[in-house]
Amino acid sequence: MTLGLRGQERLRLALIYVLCAVVLIWALAPIYWVAVSSISTRQELYARPYKIWFPSQPTLESYQTIFTQGAKFRSGGFSPTAHLMGTGLRNSVIISVASAGIVTLMATGAGYAFARMKFRGKNVIFLLIMLMIPLPIWVSLIALFFLMSHLGLVDTLVGLILIFVTLLLPLSVWLMTTFVRDIPSEIQDAARVDGADRWRLVYSIVLPLARPGMVAVFLVGMLTTWNNFLIPLIFSRSDDSQPLTIVLTLFIGQYEVAWEDMSAAAVVTMLPPFLMALFFQRYLVRGLTMGAVK
Amino acid sequence: MSITRQRLSSSDSLYLAVVLVPIILLIALFIYYPAVDTFGQSLTNRNLRVRRPPKPVGLANYVKLVEDDEFWEVTGRSFKVVIITLPLEMAVAFGIAMLLNQRFPGRSVVRTLTFLPWMLPGVVNGFLWGWLLNGEYGALNGFLYQLGLIDEYQYWLREPEHLIFWITVVQTWTRYAFPTIILLAGLQSIPDDLYDAAKVDGASAMSRVRFITVPLLLPSFGIALVVEFIAAFQIFDVIWTLTAGGSAGGSMNPFTKTLMLYNYELVFRDLRVGLGAALSYIILLMSLAVGLIFVMRVYNQGVQES
Repeated sequence: MTLGLRGQERLRLALIYVLCAVVLIWALAPIYWVAVSSISTRQELYARPYKIWFPSQPTLESYQTIFTQGAKFRSGGFSPTAHLMGTGLRNSVIISVASAGIVTLMATGAGYAFARMKFRGKNVIFLLIMLMIPLPIWVSLIALFFLMSHLGLVDTLVGLILIFVTLLLPLSVWLMTTFVRDIPSEIQDAARVDGADRWRLVYSIVLPLARPGMVAVFLVGMLTTWNNFLIPLIFSRSDDSQPLTIVLTLFIGQYEVAWEDMSAAAVVTMLPPFLMALFFQRYLVRGLTMGAVK
Repeated sequence: MSITRQRLSSSDSLYLAVVLVPIILLIALFIYYPAVDTFGQSLTNRNLRVRRPPKPVGLANYVKLVEDDEFWEVTGRSFKVVIITLPLEMAVAFGIAMLLNQRFPGRSVVRTLTFLPWMLPGVVNGFLWGWLLNGEYGALNGFLYQLGLIDEYQYWLREPEHLIFWITVVQTWTRYAFPTIILLAGLQSIPDDLYDAAKVDGASAMSRVRFITVPLLLPSFGIALVVEFIAAFQIFDVIWTLTAGGSAGGSMNPFTKTLMLYNYELVFRDLRVGLGAALSYIILLMSLAVGLIFVMRVYNQGVQES
């Protein structure tokens, strides 16, 4: 053997890094391509054969276009569309932050109840919440649409938020229940003997300790709401409530195709999830895998 | 303190009422009541295009669907997507999990970047790949042409038979992170002693994978398969932007219509509410078997540990 132990280790690392490069190309190439497209000039982007893997004159023109014009790349495009991106962005932010915030509060309160209290019907209620997970959403969506239109909640932000909160409940309640259960109960028992009622107990003892769990629930709620497409596809009818995922599909026109502009819209739509995935991935993975890995 | 007959103090009752009643109301009103109502509508001939009050028709909608060729075509397509996606996804996930299970500098950075696609919106992913595979200006064409692997630009998304394949590729790209995470956790729970012992006994690297890694990973594969089955079976967003023909209100690509898209079309485009409701219950029955296994797991972990 000519390879020493050191040489072997080097070879192993070299092999690993080659494989990592392959994996990263697979994972990131589509994202890189759309990012490059969004800052390319049309001449460069439409060159055949395409040779430039980074634009020679990067420009933010496409971003400016989608926020200030809009109309030209909408199919049929006569309706005013300049504001679509702006209102879509606003709607996405409102819906995802509000849904995540509300569901985090509800799930924390309920999680404590399921983890630490004994009461009649506990298992039944818990099971009814969890049964939603395997229930294909369509079964409820069809009649829910008519119910929402009856209540005047179709095409409103409030309606969307209520639906998202409901859909987020099972995962969130489950996460908070397991999280509160993992907090040592000795502290709580001591406080209880001292005569603190549930409210004070939850507020002053459970809440601070459960903060990492709440952050995970909030981030997962925000991410899944931001990314959702089906719910607003059915319940949003106009720019009153359309989030970015819907606006993006409106931009994918059939008549005139402006790929550099659509790429910019796609980048705007995926930027918040992208940044969350980059900086808060630990929380998101924990939340999204439902503690399957602990 | 007796557990069974412990009376709740009034402050406890108030607490439970405040935290549980809103949840129960939301779920009852938005999930379970509509689910029952949808079933009721599946027994009527409700059609919003026709100006007549819906009449009860019994199981006629179900019969109509089962006798309809399009239903079987769409169902077959959905299962085709599942059957191609699952092995593809598991192979990708297993390979990446084995890689990320190695120790090397920079591993956490690679892991973070590897899991990114999973957290992006499905409609964006469909668009990303549609643009990548574009026949006129797509990057895949540019790349392969530059390497000399193709002589002229290919229209990757033109042939209907190829569309299903590309859908499974995009679905794999969107979802592989989840099975990777599950398998990685499984790998990390396998004690090193086992490998060391096998090494001492002279087992080759291949047979160590074959006789230690794979059998011990079976439970992890099980979880991943169940979750990914549901995800692939309910595929919607990715198809919408990859092939469904673009803008809302536009035409739906008949060659990529899976069960969920078919259901959307029946109810919200054709406005055949009764028929669509029946379809949603048929889909429910189809995924029930797999779904039940899933909920039993969650339930067992969730409540019975307490």
